[in-house]
Amino acid sequence: MNLFNQKGKYAKKVMALTLMATMVMGLSLSSYAASSTKGKIVIAGSSALLPLSQQASKEFRKTNPGVSISASGSSSIAGPQSVMKGSAQIGAVDWDATKDVPGFKAFKELTAYKVAVIPFATVVNKNVDVKNLTMKQLQGIFAGTITNWKEVGGTAGEIVVVNRKFGSGTRVNYQLKALGGEDFMKPGVSKNYKEVGSSGEMKTAVQTTPNAIGYIDLVYVSGDMKAVAFEGVDASVENTVSGKYKVFGYGYYVTKGEATGATKEFIDYVKSQKFQMGSLKKMKFIPVGSMK
Amino acid sequence: MGEYAVNIASKATSPSLKLKNKLMDSGFRLACWSAAILLFSTLMMLILFVGKTGLQVFDTVSPSEFFLSFDWVPEEELFGAASMIAGTFMLTGLSLLISIPISLAMAAFNAVICPPWLRKYTRPILDTLVGIPSVVYGYIGLTVLIPLVRQVTGELMGDGLLVAALVLAFMVLPTIARISDDALSALPKEYMEAAYALGATKTHIIWTILIPAARNGIATAVVLGMARAIGETMAVVMVIGNVAQLPDGLFTPTAVLTSNIVSQIMNVPFDSTWNYALYMMAFLLLLISLALIALINMIRQEEGGART
Repeated sequence: MNLFNQKGKYAKKVMALTLMATMVMGLSLSSYAASSTKGKIVIAGSSALLPLSQQASKEFRKTNPGVSISASGSSSIAGPQSVMKGSAQIGAVDWDATKDVPGFKAFKELTAYKVAVIPFATVVNKNVDVKNLTMKQLQGIFAGTITNWKEVGGTAGEIVVVNRKFGSGTRVNYQLKALGGEDFMKPGVSKNYKEVGSSGEMKTAVQTTPNAIGYIDLVYVSGDMKAVAFEGVDASVENTVSGKYKVFGYGYYVTKGEATGATKEFIDYVKSQKFQMGSLKKMKFIPVGSMK
Repeated sequence: MGEYAVNIASKATSPSLKLKNKLMDSGFRLACWSAAILLFSTLMMLILFVGKTGLQVFDTVSPSEFFLSFDWVPEEELFGAASMIAGTFMLTGLSLLISIPISLAMAAFNAVICPPWLRKYTRPILDTLVGIPSVVYGYIGLTVLIPLVRQVTGELMGDGLLVAALVLAFMVLPTIARISDDALSALPKEYMEAAYALGATKTHIIWTILIPAARNGIATAVVLGMARAIGETMAVVMVIGNVAQLPDGLFTPTAVLTSNIVSQIMNVPFDSTWNYALYMMAFLLLLISLALIALINMIRQEEGGART
């Protein structure tokens, strides 16, 4: 009996230890390898943020095989709308959808998470010799009151204004930051004005049209177009991070109420130091945390 | 062989097979009927859905503003679609103006002038042109035609009705040419032989005999081409400039119904007047295409009447 008791106590101790060890191991395993989180996440919205969402979901699923994620890109407004309808858990949107922005009302029931910083550049065709434009000059150009390059210190030539069509996240951010919220020109104001549907079309239009001015994500600036300084500050990643260059926006994930479960874990992963300083930076977005 | 035929005949008359055939027959009939009903009800639902959503625009916007006002600034609650309705008709008219003469010449070439060995190639080439995705045409318009127009005319931009009409003309050309070609080729050979016997030249025959005789088929071809031109979206949106204003020339950026719908529909809130206004535009296009189909039927009936 005694012996047995002793043995029993011993066995119990061993058992308790093993149990604790497995629990610790299990915990550590779950945080480093396969976690038990299960769920289905649908991400809809901005096409600008789509590559980021796709890369993040690829990495996230390695450690969370129980979570299925499908990401699609159409337009920014589709993000908050899909979340409100319940057809998506996460909406990707190029502006803070919980606040009013020009043309779009706030979605009060949503929670917004900043996931990336996106700088934009004012671009001109390479034949334009203007190097710097102030907010006031840009307001005049995009409102159609300044119509010739000589009015802003360039060689004489009619200005061709290329704008993104309504609903573009780039347009919302550019209007807010570079134009201080002032309106773009109305149809009929100038015959040298057109709207395009995508960053690619913007690039083609500004590159091929002499005297053209437009705006685009900083990463797209290349080749036959020139980025113009804003208020004397060059458009660059360094100037954006240091806070000198003001024309940038945040990319947001929005969820209905607070994010929970797998959705929360995924958003946490996207906001994590590992992803922000790794893949996100490689994809030429600016990490949210690096802003001064 | 004979034995086999007898075998089948005897089998066909056996009662179990009779039943099986009957079942198969009625099953197939049922499948055909349901396919027809499915198609019809889908079309009906489409018209109903687009129409119902579109007509809601008139809850907040008066019909006279929608159809007669040229101010389309949805951000400021201005929903005048007149410039885009006018633009659609101008663009379609212009592209037909360019494409009809060329496609008729092409049809006459194929049907009358072209040597048979070459015809083996010209017809498939036209058929291939129909199958090219419209975005390809639009892209060529954007990257080749617009810079070219800019160089030739000295215009600053080049986007506008002319480039869009050129792209569309190229797109509807094969449709009109092929159907007119079929209409010309279907004419009785005697027409041509009699004319030759009277000493007519080819030009004479084509203009005064063949084209008038095939006018119904050619009219059908033109209407079909027109339907394609009115409904084309992707190629147009890339070259028209997308500014909702009545153009004061061929090189002023403008917008038509289709290009306006496609460039805005993704970006508007679901239950907004703006969305309803876009649906109303789609409904208008639907009505126009229904009217065109009715027109084709009228032409066909006239043709039937003329022949009997």
